[in-house]
Amino acid sequence: MNCPGSSAAVVSHRARGGGRRPRRRPRPGRIAFMAVFLVLPLSVFAVFEVWPYLQAFRLALTDWGGFSADPNFVGLENFRKLFSDGLFLKALRNSCLLALVIPTVCLSIAFAIACLVTTAGPAVGRTRGVRGAGIYRVVSFFPYVVPAIIIGLIWGLAYSPQMGLVNGLLRALGLDSFENFPWLGSESTAMPAAMVVIVWGTTGFYVVLFVAAIKGVPAEIYDSARVDGAGRLRTAVAITLPMILENVRTGYIYLGLAALDSFVFMEALFPQARSPNYATLTITQDLFQTAFEKFRFGYATAMGIVLALVTLVYAVIIFSVFRLVRGREDWKEGTS
Amino acid sequence: MIQTRSRLAAMLVAAALAAGLLAGCAEDKEPAGGASSGGGVAAADNPFGAAAGSTVDAAIFDGGYSTDYVDFAAAMVKDKLDVTTVVSPVTDVVQELQPRIVGGDPPDLVDWNQLPPQDLRSQLAPLDDLYAALNYDGVKIEDAIVAGAKATGTFNGQALSVPYVLTLFSLWYSASLFEENGWTPPETWDDMMAICEEAKAQDKYCFTFGKEAAGYWAWMVLEMAIKEGGKDVYLNLANLKPDAWRDPALVGAFEAVKDSIDKGYWVPGGQGTQFTVAQAQWSQQQEALFYFSGSWIEAEMADATAEGFEMTAWPAPTLTSNPALPFETVQLSAGENYIVPAAGKNTAGAKEVLRAMLSKEAATNFSKTRMAPTIVKDTVPADGWGSTALASIMARAEASGDTALPYTLGWSDQYNMDPSVIWGSFLGGEMSVEDAISQLQALSDEAAADPSIEKMAYEW
Repeated sequence: MNCPGSSAAVVSHRARGGGRRPRRRPRPGRIAFMAVFLVLPLSVFAVFEVWPYLQAFRLALTDWGGFSADPNFVGLENFRKLFSDGLFLKALRNSCLLALVIPTVCLSIAFAIACLVTTAGPAVGRTRGVRGAGIYRVVSFFPYVVPAIIIGLIWGLAYSPQMGLVNGLLRALGLDSFENFPWLGSESTAMPAAMVVIVWGTTGFYVVLFVAAIKGVPAEIYDSARVDGAGRLRTAVAITLPMILENVRTGYIYLGLAALDSFVFMEALFPQARSPNYATLTITQDLFQTAFEKFRFGYATAMGIVLALVTLVYAVIIFSVFRLVRGREDWKEGTS
Repeated sequence: MIQTRSRLAAMLVAAALAAGLLAGCAEDKEPAGGASSGGGVAAADNPFGAAAGSTVDAAIFDGGYSTDYVDFAAAMVKDKLDVTTVVSPVTDVVQELQPRIVGGDPPDLVDWNQLPPQDLRSQLAPLDDLYAALNYDGVKIEDAIVAGAKATGTFNGQALSVPYVLTLFSLWYSASLFEENGWTPPETWDDMMAICEEAKAQDKYCFTFGKEAAGYWAWMVLEMAIKEGGKDVYLNLANLKPDAWRDPALVGAFEAVKDSIDKGYWVPGGQGTQFTVAQAQWSQQQEALFYFSGSWIEAEMADATAEGFEMTAWPAPTLTSNPALPFETVQLSAGENYIVPAAGKNTAGAKEVLRAMLSKEAATNFSKTRMAPTIVKDTVPADGWGSTALASIMARAEASGDTALPYTLGWSDQYNMDPSVIWGSFLGGEMSVEDAISQLQALSDEAAADPSIEKMAYEW
C-alpha cells in the first residue's frame, strides 16, 4: 500500500512539470496552503482512519475480550469461525441482499421522479417537467431531511400491529385480514418492510442528484429527440439515462455502501438486533452485538474486516458493470 | 437502547484506540488478589486500611437509579474516615471505561450494572474480605444481605462483584381489576387458563409481549419448569448440561404456554409491537391481565399506568398441582453490580464506600428514594412506604423465604447469541415447541463446546 505522503508527493511532482523546470523554492504561501489543506487532513486521516484500520487487522488475529492488555494471538481462527457461524452467514446474506435491492429500487424510483419533474411535461413548448414539478421535487426531498433514526422510530410505530398507520390504512381499504398483522414481526415480511423504510428515507436525495444532472443535459438534445418523435419513456431510457449514467453509478456506489451498513435503520426498527429469526440482521448489527454485548472484540473485528472486503468487492463489481455498459456509449465525450 | 451510526463509529474508534493502548501497558500491573492499595493502616473501624485524606474515583452507572445514592454513602465515609469520593456518572459503562481499564488506569469503584464479562473478571479485586467485614451497623456483611446475593457475584469461588439492588422477576397484575371481576390470582396453570377464558369473554387477553422484550416470558416458563421439576432443572441449564432444555418439566411448561398462544390468550402482533407499547396494553389500556417483568416495571410504566391500577407481583403458577418446589417460590435476583478493579489506586477506599452502602442507613436511603429494595435485609417496611408494588415485592420475597431462585439472568450470558429472538418467534406463534427447545439446546451445547468460554460451576 502506498503511504499517503508519497502519493501526495507524486501528485505535486507532476504538477510542477516532471522536474524539467529548474527547482524553485516553494513560496511560503504555498507551504501554508499545503500544510492546511494537505498535511493537516492527511494526518487526521492517518491517525483516526488508517491507524485504527491497521490496529483492526492486528486485533482480528487475537481473542481480545475487550479489557485485558495482553490478548492471545489466534491467527486466522476468527475468520475460520466466521464462515461456519450460521448467524454471521445470515447477516452476510442479508447485507448483500440489501446492497442489491436498495440501490436498484431507490435509484429506479428516483430516476422516474427526476424524469417526471424535468422532461416529462407537456409535449408542446420547451422541455419541462409535469405541472407542479417544483412541489414534487421538494416533497420528495422531505424524508431525507429527517434523521434516519427518527425515520426508523416513526415507521416502527406506523408498522405497529394494533394501532399502526399501515394496518389502519389497509383496514380502511377493506382489507380486514391485515388486522393485527405484525409487519416487522413476521419472518417473511420483516425484510421487505424494512426495505420500504430505507427506500422511503433515502430516495429524495437521489431525486435531487438526478434532477441536477438532467438540468446539465443540453436542451437541444431533448428538442431533437422530440422532433424525431420520441415519447416520454423513450426519451428517459434512450436519452436521459445514458446522459446521466455517471451519476447513476455514483448513486449505486453510495447507496450500496449505505445499504451494506443500514445500522441505524435496522437498529431503530429492530432494537438490539432482535428481528424475527434474525430475518433482517445486518453485519453491522452482528458486529455491534458481538463486540459490545458479548465482549468478543477480536471476533467482532474480524467481522468488520469481512465487511470492508465485501464493500470493496461491491465497489469493484459496480465499476466493472458500468464500464461494460458504457462500452457501447463511447460517443459520449470524455469517456472510454 | 438505540445507537446512531456516528456513535457506533465513535465507539469503534474508541475501542480501536483502547486496543492501541494494548502494546504499551503491560507493565506494573498490581498483583491481583493482593492487599488493598490505599496506603492506610487497617483498624477495627477501617478494615481495609483506607488512608485518611485519600480520594476514591467512583464511576457510577447513571441509569434508572441515578447516582446520588452513592454520594449519600460517600458522605458517611467522609465523616468516618475522611476519605473523599468523587462520583462520575457514566451512561455507557463499557464504551466510556474500556480505554481506562485497558490502559491500566481504571476508576477505584465502578457500578458496572451488568455482571462483569469474562475478560474483565481477571482484572478485579476479590471482594471476599468485604463480605467478611462488619458494616456500619456492626453486622457481618455476608449476614446482613439476602441469601444468594453474594453467590450472584461469585465466579468460580471468588467474589468479584457486589450486586446492590434486589429485583423480583414475577408476574404483575392489577389488584383492583381482579377485585372488580371477583378473580383470584391463579396458583396453578389450570386456574390461570380458567381466568384467561373468562377474560376472553370480556374481550380481554391474558398476556402481552413486545418485540424487544419477548425474553421476559422465558423467566415465567423457566420458573414454572423449575418449580415443577426441582433445582436440577435450573442447575442443568446453568451448567450447560446436555439435554438440559429437554427436561420433561421444561417441555411441559413450553407446551402449556404454546397451548395458551394457540387459544388466543395473547395480544396479537406482539412480535411487531414496541415493548413499551405492549406494556401499556397491560398497564394503561388493560387489554391484557398479566405481564412478566422485573420489579422495575412500576417505575418504567409510571406515566402509562391506569388510575387505581394497584400493580401487584405474583409468582408464576405451578404447572401441575404437585410441584417439586412450592408455588410461593419466586425469582429474586440481585443486580446493579459494583466492581473494584485491582489496578485502582485506592481499592481500600472503594471497598470502604461499598461497606457504607451495605449498611442500613445508606440502603434504606436507596430504597426509600428509588422505591426498590437493596440486598441489605430489613430495610423496607411492610407497607413499602405506600407503594403497592414495593410492598408486594417484600411480601413475595418473605413468602418465598429461602427457596427463592438465585441469579435468574447470569447464566445465559454464556450463550453466543441472545436467546430473546427465539422467544419472540415462539411467542409470536411462528415456532413450534420442538424447534424452540432444540434451538435453545443448540445454543447451550455450542457454549459448552466452546473452549473460549469460561465455565461456571453454578450451585443452589
